[in-house]
Amino acid sequence: MFLKKIYIAVGAAVALMGYSCTKADTYPGPDSAFEGNIIDSVTGKNLLTETGGLQIELRQISWTANPSPYDIPSKPDGTFEDTRIFSGHYNIIPTKGPFWPVADSTIMDIRGNTTHDFRIVPYLEIVNVTHVQAADSLVMSFQLVAPRTVGLPQILDATLFVNNTPYVGSGANIQSFYNQGSATAKINSGWNAGIAATTYRVVVYNLQPGWTYYARVGVRVNDSYKKYNLSDVVQVVMPPGK
Amino acid sequence: MKIMDKVKYLFFILVLASCHKLDTPPLGVIAETDVFTNANAVQAYMANVYTMLPIEDFIYEPNHGFMTGDGGRWQCFYHTDAIDGEMVGPFGGTGDAAQGFGYWPYDKIRIINVLISTLPAYAKNFTPDQVNEWLGEAYFCRAYTYFALVKRYGGVPIVRTVIDPATPIGSLQVPRNKEEDVYNFIASDLDSAFALMKDPGSSATPGIANKYAAMAYKSRAMLYAGTIAKYGATNFVDGPARQQGFAGIPAGDAAKFFQAAYDAAKLVEGHFSLYTGGYPDKVQNYVDVFLKPNNESIFLRQYSLSDPNRNNDNAGPHSWDATMTCRIMTADGLSRAYPTLDLVERFGSLDSRIVDGSGAPVRFGSRADLMQGLEPRLLATVYFPGATLRGISFDVQRGIYNTFSGSAAQEKANDLTSPNDVQNGPGTNLWLGDINAVVTGRNVIGRAGVSTSGDDLTRTGFYVRKYVDYGKPASACGLYQSGQSYIDMRYAEVLLNRAEAAMELGTADMQADALNDINLLRDRAGAVPATATLTVDTVRNERCKELAFEHQYWWDIRRWRTADQVLNQRNCYGLLPYYVASENKYIFLKQLETFKRTYTFQKLWYYEPLPGGELSKDPNLFPNNPGY
Repeated sequence: MFLKKIYIAVGAAVALMGYSCTKADTYPGPDSAFEGNIIDSVTGKNLLTETGGLQIELRQISWTANPSPYDIPSKPDGTFEDTRIFSGHYNIIPTKGPFWPVADSTIMDIRGNTTHDFRIVPYLEIVNVTHVQAADSLVMSFQLVAPRTVGLPQILDATLFVNNTPYVGSGANIQSFYNQGSATAKINSGWNAGIAATTYRVVVYNLQPGWTYYARVGVRVNDSYKKYNLSDVVQVVMPPGK
Repeated sequence: MKIMDKVKYLFFILVLASCHKLDTPPLGVIAETDVFTNANAVQAYMANVYTMLPIEDFIYEPNHGFMTGDGGRWQCFYHTDAIDGEMVGPFGGTGDAAQGFGYWPYDKIRIINVLISTLPAYAKNFTPDQVNEWLGEAYFCRAYTYFALVKRYGGVPIVRTVIDPATPIGSLQVPRNKEEDVYNFIASDLDSAFALMKDPGSSATPGIANKYAAMAYKSRAMLYAGTIAKYGATNFVDGPARQQGFAGIPAGDAAKFFQAAYDAAKLVEGHFSLYTGGYPDKVQNYVDVFLKPNNESIFLRQYSLSDPNRNNDNAGPHSWDATMTCRIMTADGLSRAYPTLDLVERFGSLDSRIVDGSGAPVRFGSRADLMQGLEPRLLATVYFPGATLRGISFDVQRGIYNTFSGSAAQEKANDLTSPNDVQNGPGTNLWLGDINAVVTGRNVIGRAGVSTSGDDLTRTGFYVRKYVDYGKPASACGLYQSGQSYIDMRYAEVLLNRAEAAMELGTADMQADALNDINLLRDRAGAVPATATLTVDTVRNERCKELAFEHQYWWDIRRWRTADQVLNQRNCYGLLPYYVASENKYIFLKQLETFKRTYTFQKLWYYEPLPGGELSKDPNLFPNNPGY
């Protein structure tokens, strides 16, 4: 009898232990969404960027005094969106992109479907872009404009990125074109009148007949993140081979 | 009923037993008084400390750390130098390992601090020499561990004492110290080690620190601090951690650190020397630097083939022989990391050897002919196509040309669009394929590669030679069958530290000193001596050549702050041999290594992020490093 009681007691204890495992926390899940545009304050349009070309960095200050940053990467069209955000009070700043550091972060609530646009000043604008297609090559020409010149980091280089999908940029391009020396114009200089007056020209060769390519130019400065300011994507349809 | 009675009695006995208060030391726990009263016990304590030292050796993986107690430790090819362009292979890119593995060894530091704070109270049990030697070793090991921290994170909390875990949580949450303070702390610990330990003379024990080892490491640490101060001042990611001195050192202190590096290196002079015991064959001599006991090794880690925990602690055997060359020379295992042509050409461009004046590839009767006249140190560092190991040739071949009439440059470009699959049939001029492909009775690729299917054969044309034990039969080159020591500090590095510090200091005397240091190394390497027009870049390149595959280049390009330029969407090259059937000759083409990996270093990686778990325990560790 005594032994049986022990069995029962042990059984009850095990059951209780199991019961304690079923407790769920009482915090709400990430049930809010946050989206918006990253607006180039010079053109007033969305920043020309690429997937992950910049990050919207969130710190949930209603959670802890030292929140870990949570980054939402940009989409190619200069928007951002994340549909799994914890509701709360946030400190938000666009960062890790090709623009002047944003001095003041935005402090705001994210609750439900929240929208917010951020305005940034890009390091460089790529203007007067033209492209010329030849038998197996593509030439792109452009000029550079710096919205702010004082304190602009050294300008490194401008590169022609080519891909066979519309998703083209520094993180998505055909390596063999990138590796052609003519695809990159090395600048390696601080901003000056000479750069402003120059029309840069970048070329890729050995485009395959019958393919459709997508191309754009990127230019970057030697800041902390070395991300590219990009031009619009152009579509290049190569004529079929003979 | 009987069982029930027994249970009852047992129950009561146990209840009564708990009433006895037994105020005696537990027999199952080794107490302070047991350890610090007995020389053998102190030695065992120190042996444990050495075992835990964060030595980046054969079994260290840059993204998984010091592989104590991990079954993955046979994979020597997960090597630091496989993310920095010296080798290509197991990592998809630099980012795979650039943010480290959350190294946070304060439990190990505590073990060292226990000895430092406790041993003096038991000093009467030993001779003063014994006590000083142990204390010196402990300071050395503490400095070694902090250096492994500071080079990753910059400023970290300096803990010099044993903190009682029962103290209020506020005193356990130690704040970060400045990066410069950590380097000064390392210097002061190494100075203490130098002062406490006696000159070992010729009786130095391999694997145990000595006073000159302390100075050798001081020269390394101070050189790091000097270059970070100098080059980090212009190339940095801004953020609160930088502004508060946790990530970055004031540029004005660079010269002070360079001088300290130089002085420390100079103290080692005369106590260690470059190995020349294998002369006059300078290739064999350089190979043996890493395989034979010698007076160049200042600090090393040993491995025991008879360790019972073969793959569960880092004193057991390693697998360098089984995992750095290919299966035809070994008993089992496989290789995955291959030296790049980029590394090989730091010893000088091969263009004039493989391309003639008209731009056509030079024809070679035998692949081995390419090695004629190359620097002995280079030949001892990598296995070239046509070299021999354990009687078997590295018959490296990328494919077969039926005929070859074009220029080398054309074919380099052609590689970019060539399919990797077997091409055969009439009219095909270039056959590529896998290990089984045969054309007109001849293997299309060599048994040692170059393969593009799988990654266990070379993708660059080269294999690592440094540390590969040529003297053992292939049957003894399996997994966990390698016992050669890892030399973590050798006199060659001390000379390089000294030369670099001297060049940074830049006076005429210092430049002359650097020239002398470099030429000592060049002479031993069988290289052309340097001339009076030495530059910092020459000294840095000498370091890259001398210390290839020694887990150094990665940390060097970080501290020089050149990593974001050196690894800028970087593709690496191979030297790929082809057989030209119509001529019965070989040609070598410089082409992209066949993984076609891209290596990019982001500036924020100049510091690793502080581990998230530690940040959540200790709010005083904030701010985290810039960009994280």
